Amino acid sequence: MYLSVENATKTFGKFTALDDVSISIEKGEFVCLLGPSGCGKTTLLRIIAGLTETDAGTVSVEGETLSNLPARKRGFGIVFQSYSLFPNMTVAENIGYGLKIRGAPGDRIAARVRELLDLIKMPTLADKFPAQLSGGQQQRIALARAIAVDPRVLLLDEPLSALDAKVRADLRGEIRHLQRSLGIPTLMVTHDQEEALALADKIICMNHGTVVQAGPPEDLYHRPATRFVADFMGTSNLIETDVIRRVQPRLLQTRPNGADAEYIACIRPEHIDLTPDAEGPATVRDISFLGNLKRLDLDSPLGPLQVETHGVDMFSPGDRLSLAIAPDHCVWVRDDLTGAGA
Amino acid sequence: MTQATLPRPIPSRGAKSARFDGDKALALICVGVPLLGLVLFFLYPMAIVFLRSITTADGAYGLSNYAEVLGSSGFWRATRHSMVMGGATTLLSVTLGFIIAHGLYRCAFRGKRLIRAVIILPLLAPSLVQALGLIFLLGRNGLVNQIFGIEMEIYGFWGLLIANTLYALPQAVMIIGAALVLLDARTYEAAEVMGASPLLQFRDLTLPAARFGILNAAFVVFIITITDFGNAAVIGGDYSVLATEIYAQVIGQRNFNMGAVVGIMLLLPTVAAYAIERRAMRLQGRQPANAQRFVPSFAPLRDLPMAGLSLLICLAVLSVIAIVFYASFVRLWPYNMSLTLKHYNITLAGGYSSLWVTTWISLAAAAGGTFLVFLLAVGLRRAPAILVQPLQVLAAMPAAVPGMVLGLAYILTFNSTATPLYLLYGTAALIGIVNFYHYHTQAFLTVMTGFRQLPEALEEAASSLGAGLGRVAVNIIAPFVAPMLISVFFFLFMRSMVTLSAVVFLTTPDLSVAAVTIMRLDDAGLTSQAAAFSCAVMAVVVAALFGMKAVLAYLGHRTGSGSVG
Repeated sequence: MYLSVENATKTFGKFTALDDVSISIEKGEFVCLLGPSGCGKTTLLRIIAGLTETDAGTVSVEGETLSNLPARKRGFGIVFQSYSLFPNMTVAENIGYGLKIRGAPGDRIAARVRELLDLIKMPTLADKFPAQLSGGQQQRIALARAIAVDPRVLLLDEPLSALDAKVRADLRGEIRHLQRSLGIPTLMVTHDQEEALALADKIICMNHGTVVQAGPPEDLYHRPATRFVADFMGTSNLIETDVIRRVQPRLLQTRPNGADAEYIACIRPEHIDLTPDAEGPATVRDISFLGNLKRLDLDSPLGPLQVETHGVDMFSPGDRLSLAIAPDHCVWVRDDLTGAGA
Repeated sequence: MTQATLPRPIPSRGAKSARFDGDKALALICVGVPLLGLVLFFLYPMAIVFLRSITTADGAYGLSNYAEVLGSSGFWRATRHSMVMGGATTLLSVTLGFIIAHGLYRCAFRGKRLIRAVIILPLLAPSLVQALGLIFLLGRNGLVNQIFGIEMEIYGFWGLLIANTLYALPQAVMIIGAALVLLDARTYEAAEVMGASPLLQFRDLTLPAARFGILNAAFVVFIITITDFGNAAVIGGDYSVLATEIYAQVIGQRNFNMGAVVGIMLLLPTVAAYAIERRAMRLQGRQPANAQRFVPSFAPLRDLPMAGLSLLICLAVLSVIAIVFYASFVRLWPYNMSLTLKHYNITLAGGYSSLWVTTWISLAAAAGGTFLVFLLAVGLRRAPAILVQPLQVLAAMPAAVPGMVLGLAYILTFNSTATPLYLLYGTAALIGIVNFYHYHTQAFLTVMTGFRQLPEALEEAASSLGAGLGRVAVNIIAPFVAPMLISVFFFLFMRSMVTLSAVVFLTTPDLSVAAVTIMRLDDAGLTSQAAAFSCAVMAVVVAALFGMKAVLAYLGHRTGSGSVG
């Protein structure tokens, strides 16, 4: 365990931002803090950075407690959503600032800056000022500035959220590549589940100031622990126990024991097989074209369903069809929204 | 692939031990030093002036001074005059100011740069220059009487009203203009698409948007008018106002305690007006981040009359200043109108020495003052939340105190051998200090505007890179707010160059400042030399103004912030 946060609690007035949260990051690991706005993920990142004080709990790196250490003495790197380059400094001065503070000699700083500019593939921008750069360029520089000092931990606070879709995808790949090759333990805050799935070794899913589920992306997607995770990580069809029992009792075989309200069935849209069937129980209500696939909205005995297919134009609205769901594709999750299972 | 090319910085171990935090000490100094200044050079003198107002002739405390002042008809006449003058000037100045501001920001015609340049002229000279100009223009020996033979009595109410109106006009234009600029162009476009006529747009969009600006401007103009001394001294004649009444009590009758009472009485309406103005300001609201600037298109019915009116007002402002310039070259006004430079050879009242002294004092006040408000603003960012609000209120208080009252407070405080502060009496340093604290509020608020635009993430990014408060202040904050600091520096410099009311009590036979010299020259009947000296002061201030524009342009150009986003 390289970095760990234990029992962190933080309130702002009456609002509880973090409620007894513990997380850990291994050496070289890329961890995403994922959750809706207000779930406490940014507060947790700021506490790790030393920019916000905890009410209770500890932050430690390699067993050393950091709780009393101000941000400037932690030796971490941070990148914000808002780029936050120093507007009065050139690109080179921005990147070299951390080294300058550490008293590194000028030629060494210059060499490191050149190296980093090559690394982020922007070797010609050294003498530009931030205001002369695009958002994507600025965020690359901010990234270079953060890793210039070989930080013990790299903290990314929604670094891609302010960027255009195309730039975002490019930079996402680059962050991944850089993190892998440098091996810096990294914690990224995001509300974008796709981003988290693509980047993380481990996702920590948060809601209402607590950790709901933590694990590899595949685990969170295929085996969500709660209704919140199932809903937040991609699209899912959530169907209550009594409906399943009435319509598709076969699917009950994977269900853990518990009251009806405690668990709910989660079926991903890509796990429902469709067959055209004039006598079938389901009807196509609407079809959305999503490029590489189609999303069908169905009316069925299970209630409204969303189904994704890669198939050719087999269906049109009003068509009747029959459904097939494999029991191992029906995941039973705790219903944490009704409160019964929580 | 790059590996660690530098040894990793080793954060000091042993985080658990309570250790000295340099940042906290520095933050304490940042708050402490400016706070000490405010206490010593603002709160303490103000307490003294209050104490002196309740000190009776035999040295006991009592309200007999107040009884005496309130019982005198002279005081009530001066109070009535001050209020009437304040009200009339406010009405006139705000009306004219709205016309100019509306023309500048809501109409389309050429020559706006010229209007902007002309309209700020009164700020570049001591206030009594308006009065001087009016005398040259409309006085018994004035140009109008010489040419048209129309004799009018310029000394008194009407002269003072015009002088005050012109003097307050720049502020009115700036405040109302700032309110008009706030309104998003998209709002007008939405109204246009919905079918609102230009007149309806004016009534339903422009006027409500400017409402608080107008209110705000009204109170500022009112304060400027009732606290101004220069115009009242030169052109007021028999029309006594509270500011001249204080002067008469202190300088004329050497009656400091009575002066203190009148000062306190002048403080009351000023504080009230200032409190309301601050509230109005808060109500005005902020411009949305993505607002589009309104670009008016030409509409003859609206723009031609507005352009004409603006031109007339500008002519009035310009002519009063220009005639002073002209008169400074006239050999013997009005008998020999040939031109000469002889008035610039000033030998009386200490010659030009007071101009150079004033320049140095102003530079020092500007440099020291800018540094102190910067320190305070930095300190406020790190100060405990419980201290921030009271400190901000204290820092914003000096604006409510008329210059005459502050100057009186200084003479009562520093001309007393009771404390070592006596050492400051009669020094140029004290004049610099009074100038800074007189304009402390405006300087502080300007810097705070800059600080509010500073994203917290910048500081946090620097902290994460290892920068302490000192480095953050010097490398990150100072460059970011540099335009504000430069504005504050030149604002303090220019105000110090021309201010009269606060310093009039603090000059000695050995140490005078420019505005006082002009007043003395005028008192001695050397009007042409007073005009020449005014022009010399204006030359210095205009040079400073161009200096400021050059520095700001250079800064904007350097970081490229002028060209992109």
